[in-house]
Amino acid sequence: MSGDGSRLDKEACGANAAPYVLGALTDAESDAFRRHLETCAVCREEVAALQVVAAALPAAAPQVRAPNELKRRVISAVRDARRDRASEGRRATRRPSLPALRPRQALAGLAAAAIVALAVIAFVPGGGGSVRIVRAEVHAPRASAVLRLSGARGDLEIAGMPQTPPGRVYEVWLKGAGAPRPTNVLFTVSSRGEATVGVPGSLASVKDVLVTSEPRGGSQVPTREPVIVARVS
Amino acid sequence: MQLVRRGSAAAFEVVYDRHADAAFSLAYRICGQRSLAEDVVQEACLSLWRSGARYDRSRGSVRTWLLGIVHNRAIDALRRRTVRDRGLVNREGIAERLPAPERTDVEAARRDEAREVRDALDQLPEEQSRVIELAYFGGLTHAQIASMLQTPVGTVKGRMRLGLAKMRMALGDPAEAVP
Repeated sequence: MSGDGSRLDKEACGANAAPYVLGALTDAESDAFRRHLETCAVCREEVAALQVVAAALPAAAPQVRAPNELKRRVISAVRDARRDRASEGRRATRRPSLPALRPRQALAGLAAAAIVALAVIAFVPGGGGSVRIVRAEVHAPRASAVLRLSGARGDLEIAGMPQTPPGRVYEVWLKGAGAPRPTNVLFTVSSRGEATVGVPGSLASVKDVLVTSEPRGGSQVPTREPVIVARVS
Repeated sequence: MQLVRRGSAAAFEVVYDRHADAAFSLAYRICGQRSLAEDVVQEACLSLWRSGARYDRSRGSVRTWLLGIVHNRAIDALRRRTVRDRGLVNREGIAERLPAPERTDVEAARRDEAREVRDALDQLPEEQSRVIELAYFGGLTHAQIASMLQTPVGTVKGRMRLGLAKMRMALGDPAEAVP
């Protein structure tokens, strides 16, 4: 394996099956190994053999009961998502194109961001209160993101985002009147570029939810321009 | 799962009831913190709900699929806490013991299977079980493990492979043991 995981030599390829099934390769190494699997029957066979063991490893965790409150949260969230899906379907039927709303101002402290034009696309009535869906501005080709606001809480749903480079992660920031505040939400996207992340805390005084690419472990101040900006208010 | 794909929340609730304890147990083992484990399971369940249409039965059971999502999300959660909340994570075990559930026959069978997997892991030489646990439950890469143990990367990979191969021998075909 090369240092950046961009290629695999003959000697190393067989050795990567075990760390691959255990999730112990970096994102770049995993991507390279998946490409390698397309052409290496030996490694495919090795992965298949070891994958069944990795799939059994969850059973090695001490088994405890999921809290009852968690079920209420999950089922409530699923029912909300179901209502959102149904509402979006109805809306798409009667209004195929959504109007863009007003351009937003440049971000203070992020002068070069040039992030504009966020659109609130829906207010969805639900049994537990309305859900507001904000389409975010995304600076990546073919990527999209929406922020689902329920009361003062929000979830960011992302699709089509590029993988972060080795050693970097995406970080969520909250921007009110001042400079963006860091959160403890750092994430990577799936192989399809998808992620769903909960925005921590109340968004009552938050104007924008931002996402930047930061070194693994996160930053206290943004080191890059935002790749996602969702306007809350 | 077909009903879940069609958007049946009631069907999803059945799926949740079957697998929630296993999902929470895995998330709790990795995160070491109850609230974080709950967030991980909720995220994973929503992901399963939204991506149910992509479920392919030929590639494994719903349980395996869900636990795979939980594992990925829990590792992500663990890694993003490395700077700000490192002190809150207990990687060595359960920080908050929860009561064991009452057991149905199915749960009892799964408990037996879980014991077999734990036994297979415990019977490995310590250096092999350690690298497997650091990787799978600790979220560390092979390079991080090598650095932590001051051991060559190739040795770490070799221990992982040997350990998993021995577990496979001990368990027969564990894919069938985890429905």
